[in-house]
Amino acid sequence: MRVLVCLKQILDPDVPARDFQIDPEARAAKRGGANLVTNIFCENAVETALQFREAAGGDVKITALCYGESSAEDCLRKAMAMTVDEACLVERDGNTNPDAAAVGRVLAAAIRRLEQDGGPFDAVLVGRESGDWGVGQTGGVLAEELGRPALGFVESLQPGNGSVTLRRQTDVGIEVAEAEPPFLVTITNNEDNVPRIPKTRDVMMSYRKPLQKLGLADLELDSEEVRAGSSIFEVEEIFIPADEVECELAEGDTLDERVDQLAKRIHEVVASIG
Amino acid sequence: MFRVGGTVTVMDPTQATREVFWNIEYTWLVYVLMVPTLAVFGWGFWLKVRRWRSGQPALRFDRPGERLQLFLRNAVGQGRTIKRRYAGVFHSLVYTGFIVLFLATTVVAIHHDTPLHIMKGHFYLIFQSLIVDIFGLFVLVGVALAAIRRWISKPKLLVYTDEASWILITIFVMALTGFMIEGWRIAVTDDPWAAWSPIGNLFALGSDPWMTDTAMQRGHVIIWWFHLVVAFGWIAWVPFSKMSHVFTAPLNIFTANLDGYGGSLKTIDFETAERFGINHLGDFTWKDLLDFDACTECGRCTDVCPANTVGKSLSPRDIILDLQGLMHKRGDELLGSRAGNGNGDGGNGSDELLPIIDQKTAVSPEALFACTTCAACMEACPVHIEQMPKIVDARRYLVMEEADFPEGMMDMMNSLESRQHPFAGTQFSRVDWTEGLDIDVMAEMDDPHEAEVLMWVGCGGALVERNRNTVRATAKLLKKAGVKFAILGREESCTGDPARRVGNEFLFEMLAKGNVETMQRYGVRKVVTSCPHCFNSFRNEYPHFGGSYEVYHHTQFLDELLEQGRLDGNGAGGRSNGSSTITFHDPCYLGRHNGEYDAPRNLLAQVGGARQVEMERSRNTSFCCGGGGGMAFVDEPPDQRVNQERAQEAVDTGADVVAVGCPFCATMLDDGVNARRGERDVQVRDVAELLWDAVGESEEAAP
Ligand code: SF4
Ligand code: SF4
Repeated sequence: MRVLVCLKQILDPDVPARDFQIDPEARAAKRGGANLVTNIFCENAVETALQFREAAGGDVKITALCYGESSAEDCLRKAMAMTVDEACLVERDGNTNPDAAAVGRVLAAAIRRLEQDGGPFDAVLVGRESGDWGVGQTGGVLAEELGRPALGFVESLQPGNGSVTLRRQTDVGIEVAEAEPPFLVTITNNEDNVPRIPKTRDVMMSYRKPLQKLGLADLELDSEEVRAGSSIFEVEEIFIPADEVECELAEGDTLDERVDQLAKRIHEVVASIG
Repeated sequence: MFRVGGTVTVMDPTQATREVFWNIEYTWLVYVLMVPTLAVFGWGFWLKVRRWRSGQPALRFDRPGERLQLFLRNAVGQGRTIKRRYAGVFHSLVYTGFIVLFLATTVVAIHHDTPLHIMKGHFYLIFQSLIVDIFGLFVLVGVALAAIRRWISKPKLLVYTDEASWILITIFVMALTGFMIEGWRIAVTDDPWAAWSPIGNLFALGSDPWMTDTAMQRGHVIIWWFHLVVAFGWIAWVPFSKMSHVFTAPLNIFTANLDGYGGSLKTIDFETAERFGINHLGDFTWKDLLDFDACTECGRCTDVCPANTVGKSLSPRDIILDLQGLMHKRGDELLGSRAGNGNGDGGNGSDELLPIIDQKTAVSPEALFACTTCAACMEACPVHIEQMPKIVDARRYLVMEEADFPEGMMDMMNSLESRQHPFAGTQFSRVDWTEGLDIDVMAEMDDPHEAEVLMWVGCGGALVERNRNTVRATAKLLKKAGVKFAILGREESCTGDPARRVGNEFLFEMLAKGNVETMQRYGVRKVVTSCPHCFNSFRNEYPHFGGSYEVYHHTQFLDELLEQGRLDGNGAGGRSNGSSTITFHDPCYLGRHNGEYDAPRNLLAQVGGARQVEMERSRNTSFCCGGGGGMAFVDEPPDQRVNQERAQEAVDTGADVVAVGCPFCATMLDDGVNARRGERDVQVRDVAELLWDAVGESEEAAP
């Protein structure tokens, strides 16, 4: 069985507020002093795939795929340190923030290419959304591009008899589904798919595992449109909302007076906001 | 004074002596019995030596001069043993008694078996009779004191085994029967020199009124042989019991780690290591294996262990003893299991053999991950056993081979890996604290070599709100003294200390190499830091990775500036900050690990109007704040918090300021003091903050 996990490298969402800066010209966040990390839901997806392989008792080959800059190699190495078998990086060339449609097209082309070389992927796992833009569309677009059935917000995959049992989170509870490969799922987090810390030996081994690098040209996707990276929406403006805090103390000599004063001010403020 | 009724003869003390083997026939039997005794004794020790030799290599016979000094001080001189009063007294009594009795036996042997008849005259009277009698009494009294402790007062730190009881009984019997046979010989022979053997004479006087000479003579023969058999049996038993410490302890002290606790962790060669960390006895060095055999079961290590004190399962004594037990039980497998851990030459892989980490023993993952690496155990151990590095060795195995460790440590390591600092979720960048201070950052200087000193801020200083005032105070003091310094700013990474202590040597090495490279780029030679953990890494660990610097803890550097007159209270002396009493908490990695106790105290003397008081556990016996070894990142159970135990001790001194010299101590004790100070106002403040208040520019002095 072959499983593919898609990864995205993003700016560390834990970057200290002061270090988070925006480039209004490029309409994107600046790297600044922030680190680059793997999107957390993508790591949950890797962990889910690994647990699926463990439950299936081996004979599942896991491939990690990323569309990003050369620095994204780190994310793929880390996935391989977590014991993903092989990885492929499609190097981005153009807009640093391609939208979901562009990414979906690139990933689909890469997947087809990988399938040509190594056989079809039974399951494709995509993180439910990314921690930077949080659009949450890539999984759906990619399923469309690949012509596969898809299910969102899945938290675990269990091997069944020729099929796979999926658990997905819904607003009203957990839904259990049987799926016959090939399919695509987007992965959300739960307490069981917290990404593992790799063993040191596996970290060292990850440098000996195959990491294939492809360019857009290799995928025959060298069009302006893909490189521009925006086909379904355009970012018009980006800014950090200024949150201003005005502090006012309710005054009065006794507690009662202060409470009265407070209530009065609440009325006034609410009224002024309308 | 001679015994009443004795024949008075003209006495010439120069002729004084006694008959060896008086009243004893078949003396050849002594020599016959001696052969198997010594054979078993030798065989027992040979087994031990063979086991030790199957360990990995370690360099522990270098620097013989220093080793000899240590040996004289702590083996011969019992320097550490006597630090506990009761045990120190009885051990000294038995120890000196044994040495003297051993010398006396040697004298007898020389006198009897060689042409040198030395056992006569004044030497016989003063040494062989009087002194030997007194020291024989020492043994009796010492053993009695030990027995009172073991059987009556029963302190928690002892291990209560039958073996230990039998050791006391046999020694007592040997000493007692020795006096009996001496007494009866004196009585029967009317020894004219009886007065020189006061204890033996006491026995003689005690027996005389109710025993006939014949009875005493018969008793003498029986007890003499009994004494001999017990003594020989005891000698043969030595290598198989904890009495072997008589030999293993001095050897262990001679081969102790001379580099201080701060440099006691091994490096790993990741290229060649077959396993990372240790889960097999065969991966320990010969010195580690010797450690196991040198343990005297005294329990001092566990007694001082902060984790044990607050009720956690960690007990360094039991770790050593369980490993000793495993080594004795599985000794032969050990010999076959020589395998590579990076400094050996490979072997036959022993993965199923001898796992040392075992939930059912003292070497459980839970216990291992409770260690704060404070080294109190190592400082307390009278025979210089190195408990803490073994704990870290085992942690390394769990972390690097099994990826198995507590949750808080996981977040910390994740953060170290992706952000090069352990404080996931911090609000601050590495340079936020410099706001308004105009501090040079190396990367932004035209010539970074102009900075004489690198101020290493440390993650705990820059990224934890509470400690930013400490690094600000340090920087302001350096400026005031006119020191040309700069920081690395965003280029600073964690030194890797938390990774290393937790057992992630790989991550530590990566961080260390990265920092060495950065510092090399700027030609850094002198480093001052307010974090003792960074200080320790630079001082003791970075040289292994090509980074050798002149390293100062901020208190040391400020102390030097003070001495040079570059820092003073503008002629006004140290201002008061309103506090009346200060107590200083020695950070483990400054004090015990690196031997600096005075610099911070000198600085505190500048605080006007305040008096310094010491906690009971201070300087080298300081009690950890609970934050070392990665424990600052772990949530301790509310009833097992090391920081509260320490905070209570600080609060109990009555001090209104608890001074610290470490960002981890600061946060740990802040929490602890707030939980334990009750209604009183007790503050936790770094020495640098206090010094700035005392001698800084007055308009900025207010915190
Ligand atoms: S280093 Fe400290 S915490 Fe660890 S075992 Fe020794 S005394 Fe206990
Ligand atoms: S390791 Fe040292 S301190 Fe601990 S019980 Fe053994 S001899 Fe005593």
